[in-house]
This record gives sequence, C-alpha cells and structure tokens, in this order.
Amino acid sequence: MIVIHPELCSGCERCQVNCSFFHSGAVGRSRSRVKVVKIERLGIDYPVICRQCKERYCTRCPESALEVGPLGQIVASPTLCTACGTCETLCPIGAIELHNDLPYVCDLCGGDPRCVAQCNMGAVEYVPGETETVSLASFKKESRGLDPEEKRVRFALDRTRELREAWKASVGE
Amino acid sequence: MLYGYGGHILRVDLSRGSTVREKSDPAYLRKAIGGRGLNSWRLHDELPRDVDPLGPENMLLIGVGPLTGSLLSSSAYMTISGRSPLTGILGDSAAGGFFGPELKQAGYDQLVITGRSETPCYLVIADDRVEIRDASHLWGTDLWQATSAIRKELGDNAFQVAAIGPAGENLVKFATVACNNGRMCGRTGMGCLFGSKQLKAVAVRGTNVVTMADSLAFLDLSRELDRRILDHPEWQKRHDLGSPLLMNALNGIGILPTNHFQKGVCDYVDRVSGETLAATHKVKNKSCFNCNVHCSRYYVTPEGEAEGPEFETLCSYTSRIGVDDLRFALRMASFLNRMGMDSLSSGETIGWTMECFQRGLLGPEDVDGLDFTWGNKETVEKVLDMIVRREGIGDAFAEGTRSLAQRFGRGTEKWALHVKGLDVICGDPRGIKAFGLTYAIASRGGDHLRAEPFFELTGRYDEAERRWGVRDIADRLSNNGKAVLVEHTERQALLTDCMTMCKNIGLSMDVLDFEFAARLLQAGTGLDFTPDRMTKSLRGIIDADRRLNIDLGIDASMDTLPYRFTDEPLEEGPSKGQVVPVKKMVKEYYELRGWGPDGSPPSKEG
Repeated sequence: MIVIHPELCSGCERCQVNCSFFHSGAVGRSRSRVKVVKIERLGIDYPVICRQCKERYCTRCPESALEVGPLGQIVASPTLCTACGTCETLCPIGAIELHNDLPYVCDLCGGDPRCVAQCNMGAVEYVPGETETVSLASFKKESRGLDPEEKRVRFALDRTRELREAWKASVGE
Repeated sequence: MLYGYGGHILRVDLSRGSTVREKSDPAYLRKAIGGRGLNSWRLHDELPRDVDPLGPENMLLIGVGPLTGSLLSSSAYMTISGRSPLTGILGDSAAGGFFGPELKQAGYDQLVITGRSETPCYLVIADDRVEIRDASHLWGTDLWQATSAIRKELGDNAFQVAAIGPAGENLVKFATVACNNGRMCGRTGMGCLFGSKQLKAVAVRGTNVVTMADSLAFLDLSRELDRRILDHPEWQKRHDLGSPLLMNALNGIGILPTNHFQKGVCDYVDRVSGETLAATHKVKNKSCFNCNVHCSRYYVTPEGEAEGPEFETLCSYTSRIGVDDLRFALRMASFLNRMGMDSLSSGETIGWTMECFQRGLLGPEDVDGLDFTWGNKETVEKVLDMIVRREGIGDAFAEGTRSLAQRFGRGTEKWALHVKGLDVICGDPRGIKAFGLTYAIASRGGDHLRAEPFFELTGRYDEAERRWGVRDIADRLSNNGKAVLVEHTERQALLTDCMTMCKNIGLSMDVLDFEFAARLLQAGTGLDFTPDRMTKSLRGIIDADRRLNIDLGIDASMDTLPYRFTDEPLEEGPSKGQVVPVKKMVKEYYELRGWGPDGSPPSKEG
C-alpha cells in the first residue's frame, strides 16, 4: 500500500498531477486517484489515497464492479459499473470518487506508482506487500452524509493531529 | 480544439451583474501567448486611456497561460492586471499557488472584470457556472476569515480563493490580493482595484483537465526540465531556505538595504537571516502547484503560525527599517497578509519616514506624534494599523510613498525611493548594475521581476562571452553590456509570465532558454510557436506595454533611479564606492529595443 508522511509533504500536488497524467494523459484533480487536501491556516497538506483498508468498504458494490487485485489494489470494472455511487458513499475517507460516471481509485499503477516516483519530498511511499493493515472503522460512522471532499478533510485533520502537536511543542516559549 | 489553453474568456460586468463566456481567439493568443502578455494586450486594446484607476471603467484582468496547470514544473502562476491605483500606469502582479491552475481547469484563459458592484460581492466560478454573490457579510473580514467563510458557504474546501482584506476594502493604494491566504499579488495595488469594484473575492473550482497537443512530447520535455532543476547547483539551498537566503547573500556583497539603503551591510543580519528562520521556526517546506523545489516554508512561533515570509517582506521589516527582531518581522508579515497590504510599499513609507526623521526633515508633529526612530517597533505596529484603517496620518501613508513625500515637500521627495510611483525592492542597485537598469525601465515601475538579470551575479564569465560576447556581463559591478543582458532577460521574464511559470525557476535558475520554451509551447498548444515567432510576440508585448504607459503619462525622463542610487556612492562593504550610471545604460537599452531617443517604440504593432 501507499504510506503518507505528512511531515514531509509540501502540498505541491505532484502526486496528483502525475497520477492524472499517467492515467488520462491530461492534468486535473478530478482525474486523479490521489487528492491532496490543503488546510492553509493549519499548515496541513495531506494526500488522500486508498488505504487498502481492512474493511474494504467499497467492494460492497451492488454490481460487483470492484474487487481486490493481486497487489491489494482496488480494481474497477468500467463495464460492470453503473455509476450508482455506492462505493463513493461507503468509503469513509473520500479515497474513491466518481467523475464522469467512472470510479476513480488508486490502482497502484500496476506496482510502479507514479505518485511515489514523482514525489521528491519522500512524502509518498510505496510499501509493497503490505495491505489490509489499516482499519478505517473509526471514520465510518461520522462520515455518513458527507461528500468525498468533506471526508478527505476530516481524515487529513485526524492524520495530522500528532504532527501539529509536535510542531507546537518544538517551538516552546 | 485549443490545446493547452483553457479556451474561454470570461467577461464580468459588475455594474450590470452580467457574465459572458466567450471563446478564446487563437490568433490573439498566438500574439499574446498568455498570462501577463494576454493581460497586457487586452489593456492595450481595450482600456480607455482617460480611465480613473478607481473608476468602474478600469479593467481588472486575471490571466493564465497555455502551460498553466500542466505537467510542467512550477506552471503555477497567474497575473492580475489593470491600471494601477498606486502608480497610475500599467499595474500587474503575479502569484503562484493554486489559483491559476484551477482557473485553467475551469476552462478559462482570462477573466475580464469591469464595472462596480453597488454592494460588496464575490465572484464564484465553477467550470462554466458563474455567479455573482453578495459579500456584505464578509466586508470587513480579514483574509483568513474571508477565505474560510467563502469555502464554507460554497461547501467545498477545494475552492481556490483570491481575496482582499480590509486594506483593499479601504482602498489602500498598495493593497494586495491573496490566493488561499498565502500567495500574494503584492505589487501595484491590485487589491485596491478589487476594493474599488466592491469585489471581495474570486472563488474558482475547475473539474476539467489540461490537455496538451502532443502529450508524450510534452512529457519528455517536462522531464528534461525536471532534471535541469534537480541537478542545479543551487537546488539544495533554494529548497532549504527559499528566497530568505537573500538576506545573507545580499549582505555578503554589500547590497542588503539597511536603514533605508543608507548602508548595504547589516551587522545583525545573522539574527534575521533565512538560515536563522529555517533553524528556529520553520517546521516544513511548502510549495506552489507542481513544483519540485518547494522553496516556501511553514513556520510556527509561540505567537502564531503561517506560510512565509518571502525575502522582500523579511527585509522590509528588518534591516530596511533598522529592526533586528525576527519574531517581530514574522508577526508583521502575518498582519500584512491578513489585512491584505503590500510589505514593500508599506515598508518604504516607514523607511522613508524614518530617514526623514533622522535628517530632521520630519518630526513627530507631522505624523500624529509617532516617533519614527530607526527600529521603533511600536511605531511600526501602530502606523500599519492606521494605514489599513486610513486613520489619522495613516490616510496619507495609504496613498504610497511618492504621494506622501509630495504632500510634505521640504526636500523629503529626494529620499523617496520609488520609480514611477512604485517603491523599489530590497536590493541596492548600486552593487548590481543590471538590476539598476531594470528598476529604471520596468514597465510597472521600480521593480526587479521585469527582467531579474540574475546572470550578473553568477560570475560565469566564459558563459557570458559565449552568449553575448561580453565577459563583463557576469560582473555585477560593471555596467558594460548590461543593457544587452536586460534586453534579453526582460523577454525571458515575460516568457515565464506568459507560459506561466515561476521566475525563480525559469529565469533565476536559468533552466529555460527560448528554444526549449518554443518546443514546450509547440508540444503544449500545437500552434507554431517557433523561437522567431515567439521573440516577435515578446517584443510586441513589451512595445505594447510601453505605448500604453506613454498614453498613461510616462516619458523618458521617468526612466531613471532615485538620487541615492545615481549620485550617492555606497560608503562601505563589498560594493563600496558604487553608483549606477543609469542614463548611459537606459540609452543603450532604448537602442537595443528599437525605441527612439525619447523612449518611444515604433507606433505600429508587429
């Protein structure tokens, strides 16, 4: 799976840019499978990407259009998908999202993730073989009714809480 | 289909509340390229010459270029232009961040905003849906509050917001526009222009993609440029310190403005340097869209936290006004950012007043009893607040240094450090001659970014000979060949502003030559941007700016520098004894530009 190190992330969005370009030949956030959340007031930059979670919420697709691939990635079938949006609703962190009636979710670029290759901050790391180690159950309940962007913001805030405490502690008085 | 470009121009008339989405004209784009060039031609072709800078007819343009928001590193910029409320001539200011790329993804090359709303408003652009919304409840909020409130109202944190603070609302002539709090269009008072139209903000969200004509060729070129950037000998330092590295760098060559340019060497620089900032308060790097240098920084102090500051702000609120307190400068930077006020112009009003106090030309009785002794932090804090609210003497300060000096007279004008009404930046031109020429001829007034002739600081003598046949071009103290350098880098700077890319990278790091840029533009747009055609376009834009400025009242006598830089040699340090022989250099520059001795370009375009 892909591991994020927010203390290193500058918010440049190179992961997002290169994800979009690799998959669609063009650049745009809506086509990217990793979306960087930026909360400028708090200095937070956090790329939200599929955690390959233990629960695999999105695979409860009514059309069986989503399954887990050999690398632990989510594989979406464009032919089975009816764009019903269940996956988007089920994911607690906004890591899968429909755009133009297609689900966009990290596919690990077949094992050579372009976001990792293009992040020269070391903030986006690929750990092959590690999958289904993260539980997103604690995000599930309160994600109800939120749109993907709202879910991503919640997740980013949670995942950077310790970092912000460390910053505060480091400056002292 | 138009590749690279957004494909549309959005015209908004705030008086009528109308919005019209037009298709971009490829022939016009080929001539104007994009970004600043597109804005310049639009002003040249459409701005009524007798327009009141604060009147409804003034145009407020926001332009992006053919490569903005693309795979190209640092293709992050946008430019805001109009007739400057501060200088009365061409005004424009660029910022990186994420607004430009978002505007492109929403499908636009340019916003053309005219008129004046009866009540405060903000403009919302979500792809092809455009709405003018009421902003009465936001009027009076600072930038951080306004940006948050707008995103909350629109229910989407991913909106990119370019907004003004109280300074812009109160028509402070050097008010800024901030993109997402941290990225400033600082110079020439574009925030004042927003305020004059009762426009609090422009919020934009785009869900389209930026598509190149030849994606694979563009990919190869972008990767080649990435290598040039990452292999650059200055990469690490720029990454670690960003622009504040200039505190020590300029001090080392004796050109760090100290006590309002009376000295070029600051003995407490270590307390306020980029190195100190990085070591004490920086917690991580920050970045503009798709950059691999990440030169910005996030800092935390017990009093607050924010992104920034850049060099010009840091120097303006430390050595330039005699302050040796880094935390104070951070606090002022944060205040200015929240209020939406330019650090350079506000800092010059303060530095100038302090020098006038030192010379006995002004006293407390002139300025509401304030004591402008060098480094008086209490006064600085107080007067900034008064400027934002235009309270008391702050009202006169809010008009800018040129106007302030004219108001007081008594010989104070001699020490007002501006060119054409725009306050000079933090770099003493006496020790960097090509920069001196740049301040003198820059089409928006006393500014370096119009040409940023960084090459003269590199000491690359052989390369200077190879490129231009003049070795002295690599010697910062020589004026020999500097007009050649400025003529060249002025086009290079314009090119990066048109494409739009970061000038620190495209220009200062010297990674983008015209041939390479032409290949990028061809792969990106599919249009025939040959190096020759591009050069013709760039010269055409520079001439158009000049014609506009002449119409707006400038003449050759204004292509000069303040007395200090031409007649008062630096007294100590590595630039000791230097002045700028500006007349001679300007004359050479006119000849190279093909302008007459009166500084007029050929009257016909092209």
